[in-house]
Amino acid sequence: MKKRTFKFSFNVALFLIWLLLFAFISIKAPNFLKPNYLISVMLRNIIEIGMVALPMTLVIITAGIDLSVGNILVLSCMLGGMAAGAAGDAAGALITLAVGLICGIINGIIIAKVKITPMVTTLATMYLYLGLARGITQGDSVYAFPLAAYLGNTVIAGLPIQIWIYLVLAVVFVYILSKTTLGRKIYSIGLNPNAAKYAGVKTDKILIGIYALTGVICALAALIWLGRFTSVKYDAGTNFNLKVITVVVLGGTSINGGIGDMKGTILGTLIIATLNSGLTVLNIPIDVQTIVQGAVLMVALIAYAVLNDRAKKRKIVAVQ
Amino acid sequence: MAKTILELKNIVKTFPGVKALDGISFQLYSGEVHAICGENGAGKSTLMKVVCGVHKADSGTMIVNGKEEAFGNPLEAYKKGVSIIFQETSLFEEMKVLDNLYLGHEIMKKIGPIPVIDYAAMKEKALEIFKKLNTDIPLDAQVKNLGMAQKQMVEIAKALTFDANILIFDEPTASLTEREVRALFQIIQNLKKEGLGIVYISHRLEEIFEICDRVTVIRDGQYISTKDVKKTNKDELVADMVGRKMGSYYPKKDTKIGGELLRVEHYYDEGFLEDINFYVRKGEILGFSGLAGAGRTELMQSICGLTKKAAGSVFLDGKEIHIRNYNDAMDQGIVYVSEDRGKYGLIVDMSIENNISLPQLQKLRKTLDFLDVKKEKTLAGKYIQEMGIKAPDGEFLVTNLSGGNQQKVSVSKALALEPKLLLLDEPTRGVDVNAKAEIHKIISDLTEKGLTIIMVSSELPELLGMCDRIYVMKDGRIAGCFDKEDATQEAVLSVALESKKEVGA
Amino acid sequence: MKKRSFLTTEFYLFCFLVVIMLLLAVAAPGFYTLNNIMSILNSFSYILISAIGMNLIILTGNIDVSTGALISVVALASAAIGKTGVPFAGLLPAAMVMGALLSTLNGLFITGLKIPAIVATLATTQIFQGVLPLTVEGSIYDLPASFTWLAFKAKIFGVVPASVLICLIVTVFFLLFTRYSRFSKKLYAIGNNRNGARLAGINVDKTVVISYTIAGALFGITALIVATAGQRVTTTMGTGMEMTFIAAVVLGGTSPAGGSGKIIGTVMGAFILAIVAPAINFLGISPNWADAVKGAIILISVVVSAARNIKGRRVIARCAVRQGG
Repeated sequence: MKKRTFKFSFNVALFLIWLLLFAFISIKAPNFLKPNYLISVMLRNIIEIGMVALPMTLVIITAGIDLSVGNILVLSCMLGGMAAGAAGDAAGALITLAVGLICGIINGIIIAKVKITPMVTTLATMYLYLGLARGITQGDSVYAFPLAAYLGNTVIAGLPIQIWIYLVLAVVFVYILSKTTLGRKIYSIGLNPNAAKYAGVKTDKILIGIYALTGVICALAALIWLGRFTSVKYDAGTNFNLKVITVVVLGGTSINGGIGDMKGTILGTLIIATLNSGLTVLNIPIDVQTIVQGAVLMVALIAYAVLNDRAKKRKIVAVQ
Repeated sequence: MAKTILELKNIVKTFPGVKALDGISFQLYSGEVHAICGENGAGKSTLMKVVCGVHKADSGTMIVNGKEEAFGNPLEAYKKGVSIIFQETSLFEEMKVLDNLYLGHEIMKKIGPIPVIDYAAMKEKALEIFKKLNTDIPLDAQVKNLGMAQKQMVEIAKALTFDANILIFDEPTASLTEREVRALFQIIQNLKKEGLGIVYISHRLEEIFEICDRVTVIRDGQYISTKDVKKTNKDELVADMVGRKMGSYYPKKDTKIGGELLRVEHYYDEGFLEDINFYVRKGEILGFSGLAGAGRTELMQSICGLTKKAAGSVFLDGKEIHIRNYNDAMDQGIVYVSEDRGKYGLIVDMSIENNISLPQLQKLRKTLDFLDVKKEKTLAGKYIQEMGIKAPDGEFLVTNLSGGNQQKVSVSKALALEPKLLLLDEPTRGVDVNAKAEIHKIISDLTEKGLTIIMVSSELPELLGMCDRIYVMKDGRIAGCFDKEDATQEAVLSVALESKKEVGA
Repeated sequence: MKKRSFLTTEFYLFCFLVVIMLLLAVAAPGFYTLNNIMSILNSFSYILISAIGMNLIILTGNIDVSTGALISVVALASAAIGKTGVPFAGLLPAAMVMGALLSTLNGLFITGLKIPAIVATLATTQIFQGVLPLTVEGSIYDLPASFTWLAFKAKIFGVVPASVLICLIVTVFFLLFTRYSRFSKKLYAIGNNRNGARLAGINVDKTVVISYTIAGALFGITALIVATAGQRVTTTMGTGMEMTFIAAVVLGGTSPAGGSGKIIGTVMGAFILAIVAPAINFLGISPNWADAVKGAIILISVVVSAARNIKGRRVIARCAVRQGG
């Protein structure tokens, strides 16, 4: 009961922060409020990060982490682009998704079966995927193919197609985490993997599944990314990993696992999106934007630390 | 001879909302072993943690070797001659034995102006202590490679590196085998002869009568009595601990026992289990006795697919079954309740409801994997009521429950699966006397309803009181089987101990 | 108890290194030229100096992903100081102090607010990355000879880069430090059993902060070596370096969970990572494959060591049963 009210109020707090931020920027820079800007710049630019943040939330709730997402994105992008060049659109899309899936499964198997910590595993595969992308392309760029260009640049019913895709995914992920038995099992793995196993939860399968899913979503984001930028180089994913994790943590998911909420992640995405484009509108240089982003993350972390402390104290009182 | 070396006067300690210690006084003489006993949560461990500086007392005074003291952490306590050997070992697994012995108070020497660790001096002193303890653990072994008993020896040696004259043992025998317990008692006797004062905290009354001189009982954070061990008896102590005379400990009802439910033949897992054969009948409570490490837990976990499959056959209702993982076992109606609630049994940061429903989420799912929360509530609510789990509501977090209530949640979780056969591993470990009786009653009631139960326990009286038959395990084998009528404490124990093979570490 | 102490991670790494060296002697004839060796030694040096710092942090069960950004900041700041003509003797302490201060901030942030190190340093990464470009437009260039003295003039016997000497001093110091200082025992203890360490009277937070401070000073040295390698210092000089350092530490057998790991392992880890790129080059493979090879080496080494651990654990469990039985 207590836990629920606490969580609820937290999302409200995030929403209020976003509202304040939005209002502040709108007043300072009237240009910002134009629907066209909001949709085709603010939202469109965050979509890939927002998309990958969804499965990343699941990963972090199981007390894991995936540092290789940006590199999966780039690697699948590159191989897909090359396949499209050789055998057409369908092959390109298929290879992109397949590469994402395989990379994710590799992560999952090493983590679940060989029992190496997620951080070390994905740190190593991060290097591997980055290196493969670089080696295979020999450092050259890969260019968008028609399907990718379509996903990156089409507008349907007034919204870019990637926003529609994101909305569908967001609904699915909110549903998975909060309404399904799978969601419950994911929380149980994050809180106590041993006890979960002793309750018949197939922890290994679920973990591999989640990392594989992350890989596939990365590949999907890769198609959109490639379409949006028309060309991608091997080092494009460098900061992507950290940005995704920032969004998830900002949304209230505990890096220690077991605690977190998909709606929080969505709100976190929205806040970072508003911040990024808002600061651009305000003509604030990109470097300051980075600092602000770091500062926001810090403030969020401090807030969580304080709130968690309080929750703990409340818990002790409850014992009595 | 009887010099007071540790004196506590009116120690009070409150945690937010709870008065853990309420004016406790206590005296320890040199050359005595003084037991502190009480139910779980009575405040025994808290008291000792106050003594050695883990917690700070709100009020009261402590006099150590004639001087008033208040320690900020155990290291300070060590340096003033008070050493505690913790319940959960506080050793550093990846580090060497020698580093562990001297952590935080390494012997230093100076090379020029630079202080460096003097390994030679540390080694020399450590070997001296090991000789006194009659042990030959290699000083450069990593602690993680030691057995439980060896680790405890390191803990004791660590305490002795400080030249402590007050030693506190907090439940030292909880994870030791019988032989190791004997060795430990010998050491305690020797230390006592050297004039050390020893505080001995234990649940096991038998041990108190064996090695202690005096015993202090505390209850609900309050001082109850201090008695000379020779002039008291078990019933008196239990009465002091519980605050009233206990009636029947083990209210086993006679039940109708049916035909054979499960039969295990030629079960074998190299290094753990050797040619195990046994059966259990419907409605029976079957006990497994044996010393720690005899293979009882391994057998139970192996049967229900939690560990690698062993060789051999398992028959359920006369038909051979093949269990590859725990889900297979649950499908067959075989459910295991772990001895370690916090680690394997429960997810303590989840609510009672969520814990009970976790193994049967499949039954609570609707289309699209939707979790039926209403059904979950009804299911959990039923057990919360039936088992008498004391909590404000089903959404209460398990971590906030007492040990006994946690155990009830653990059992509820298993029962909600509606099993045919329930494997209970140490069902009353770490629960207090009252809750113990309650759990025994629950187990007894269950068999009345036709459930079959296999119960692993290290407490012989519990098995003798509850079980229809008792198998005794030793070295991964079944060493004997007793019917209720012929089972006595002496008979069972002698089988469990008999011709123990001496296997070197 | 049988001793198998020589079959350690360090031993396997050593064998691996010897095999690679022999292979290179046969397959890449140009590899063992003086110039090439010196250039490898130089990159080995700056990787190792920071990897040792990272090792101290990881020993306590923490991590630092902001190191790359921190190095960029210190490199740029050193350049700004160096442009005024301050000699190396002044630059070195300055870089170390700057590194130590910034890293201490990380440590305080982590311990003060009880935030997991990886997230906390993630946040500071972004702040470090943003701070300096504000004061500098992209890069500082036309640096004087006094600044690049370390890379171009300071050669021992006319050939060995001075960075190697610095690295040697640092390595020997920390080899002794981890064995003979009381402080290093505290680091291991915290990584093993944080609560136990607290009970043993160790001030955990203070120790962790100091480990960041020491590591920061070492990061500062690396920053200076990297910065002085040319006449231009850019704002992205250190980007991505933290991963190399973490990789060297993990490759060297230090458990990322903390509590175990030796400096000598880190030395070998750093050496392997320093040798990959030039080795590939001399074997006639495109340098674009270097990262993939590094990734594969790290992955294989952690998988192999995990497999060995699992096997070891099984044996121990069995011993315990035997003892009990």
